[in-house]
Amino acid sequence: MNDQQALHLLNELELILESDPLIDEVGFIHPSQFDMLNEEACHLLPSSDDTLSSKVSDIDDASKHIGAASFWNKDHKLGISTEVLFPLYQTTKHAFMAAIKQYKALVDNSCIEDSSSYSASSHDNVENEVMKLSRALLLLSCDFGTAWHSRKLAVSKKHRLSMLMYELQLSALVLSYAPKCEHAWSHRRWVIKSIAGRCSTLQNILEKESELVEKIAERSKMNYRAWNHRNWLVSYMSGEQVLHELKKTRSWAGLHVADNSCFHYRRRLMLRILEDSKIGPVQNYVDINQLWEEELEWNEMLIKLYVGREALWLHRRFLAPILLKGFLIDHTDTTGTSIYKDFDKFVDNEFKLHSFCSTVPESSFEDHHAQALHCATYMSWLIKFIGIEFQEKLRVENLKSLLKKICPEKPFLWDHLTNNKS
Amino acid sequence: MAELAAEKHANYIVSVEKKKGSFESVVIEHLRMNGAYWGLTTLDLLEKLHVVDVDQIVSWLISCQHESGGFGGNIGHDPHVMYTLSAVQVLALFDKLDVLDVEKVSNYVAGLQNEDGSFSGDEWGEVDTRFSYIAICCLALLHQLNKINVEKAVKYIVSCKNLDGGFGCTPGGESHAGQIFCCVGALAITGSLHHIDKDLLGWWLCERQVKSGGLNGRPEKLPDVCYSWWVLSSLIMIDRVHWINKEKLVKFILDCQDVENGGISDRPDDAVDVYHTYFGVAGLSLLEYPGLKAIDPAYALPVDVVNRIFLGK
Repeated sequence: MNDQQALHLLNELELILESDPLIDEVGFIHPSQFDMLNEEACHLLPSSDDTLSSKVSDIDDASKHIGAASFWNKDHKLGISTEVLFPLYQTTKHAFMAAIKQYKALVDNSCIEDSSSYSASSHDNVENEVMKLSRALLLLSCDFGTAWHSRKLAVSKKHRLSMLMYELQLSALVLSYAPKCEHAWSHRRWVIKSIAGRCSTLQNILEKESELVEKIAERSKMNYRAWNHRNWLVSYMSGEQVLHELKKTRSWAGLHVADNSCFHYRRRLMLRILEDSKIGPVQNYVDINQLWEEELEWNEMLIKLYVGREALWLHRRFLAPILLKGFLIDHTDTTGTSIYKDFDKFVDNEFKLHSFCSTVPESSFEDHHAQALHCATYMSWLIKFIGIEFQEKLRVENLKSLLKKICPEKPFLWDHLTNNKS
Repeated sequence: MAELAAEKHANYIVSVEKKKGSFESVVIEHLRMNGAYWGLTTLDLLEKLHVVDVDQIVSWLISCQHESGGFGGNIGHDPHVMYTLSAVQVLALFDKLDVLDVEKVSNYVAGLQNEDGSFSGDEWGEVDTRFSYIAICCLALLHQLNKINVEKAVKYIVSCKNLDGGFGCTPGGESHAGQIFCCVGALAITGSLHHIDKDLLGWWLCERQVKSGGLNGRPEKLPDVCYSWWVLSSLIMIDRVHWINKEKLVKFILDCQDVENGGISDRPDDAVDVYHTYFGVAGLSLLEYPGLKAIDPAYALPVDVVNRIFLGK
């Protein structure tokens, strides 16, 4: 493919993006899949004018032929042929690098020179170019930081809400093919920081952000970047929103018990509620003791249902000490004695859970071994870090020999965990 | 057990630099500065740094520097603190730190500190504890730590500590072995390790070792060679490395080698890359594998390079 043809491809990509502003998904497809998609589309909708070829009628025949086999655009989905990625990327990158250089020079000059000597129209043209080219480039190479920055630069000069909102849309489009793209997530935070305080719909936007994370987490498992974004949103949320999020994520977490990130998100929300409760009465008064107890109960149910899941046991490690260490003594609680009563109940319950989980069936599978290991480490952890004593019910030596039997590879760790109580 | 194919890995690193022209290779050109650090540090650990053309690399590196003092990932790319540290580390490897205008570079890095002690990665304001480590490590290598408010920087990092003993990107962020390395490293460099509950964090880190001997970066994830570095270096800094099974980890890393063409991958039988080759070799160096130079767990540079900087040899 020569440079001219590659340039045509770029024009065509830009044309598609202009003519279908609602594209919400982009993907790279092998030419063979491509033919199949086209055939399928023609077969289903023989008279449809919604397919790409009709939109690019102004492009000469040779290039049109390349184009027809290079992009696929229907139902607001965009497919780019893997065959053209390389030349298209090279061309787009070179065009972008030239444009951004020119744009930066104009921005610098407009700062030092007086406005009369500086041409506003050429500035706008170059700025448009930068916006168009950076968009195309980011759909081909999501980690191109300089392209993301160029957009921030142009948008920050304008302070227009609609432009900022478009950045959220573009970033979501990039995330549709690169759900872990750090720059795309960071770009969203930049937008939110820019509009926070001057936008009445911030709470709405936060809700949509949270939904986006959930949607992406559904198909991109244990996506740290996505969940990190959701954690970050919490500090902007209202108390009510936090409670809503906690309620909403419960069923999702129950269906994704191996996704530690979702449980961490719940921990983040719960700690925020705890924090809020120390400052004043929580909105729609929440009984924090009850909140924790219910989470523990739910967690136990999941542990018994989904055998051997590390994330569930770690969640329990978070819940137990906060309940026990008296962080939860509510200022409205005047009796003060209930803590001790619950303490005994708790110890009794954990011992029963241990008995339930540490029996590995004869014909046991790996899951049951994992369950026994997680349970034994959890119990050692309660003894070591929380100072719980199970006395004759559960002796430390028994735990140690159990750990060494299930996982003989780490004797030094087990010795340490079970030796000195601190 | 297989042995380390040191010669092959060195050849692989050199060949990557020459192999250009595929989409896979150009699409990562924006982070070439990181690539240079990974590749060259690997060569140095393998005692093969002499095979590269120092002047050529240094002159390319300098052309990535901006007026602000920061470095871009490649020529024409915007500056970021991440690439700035890589540039400083590469120059440290070559004992060429004197080509830098130290004042300018350190002003750029120090200028990224925020009021609450955190650091932004660049002028666009994304905050992350990774950038705290990078800034602190970079300034320490340039003997310019006095340019920032270290106390506040430490306070911010400590505010990102979770109840499980680990650290996240920002306050309330999920613990992740990579972030933990950054936070522990920054605390180690600033002499603030007393903020860490070593037993608690050590336990969390040890639980990253899975049955195959490899380490993962978070609960329920698959093992990956890169965590041989992040987890192991953290365990060494908090003095708990004896809690994991070193022999099994060595075997896991060696199983990830491409013994025919060189290079190390994330997991056995996957495709190799420079990133994992570096972390595999660095991990083996921490495990005192014979024939490798020792690497410093906090500065992520060979110990002799670190000694040259801080002890004047």
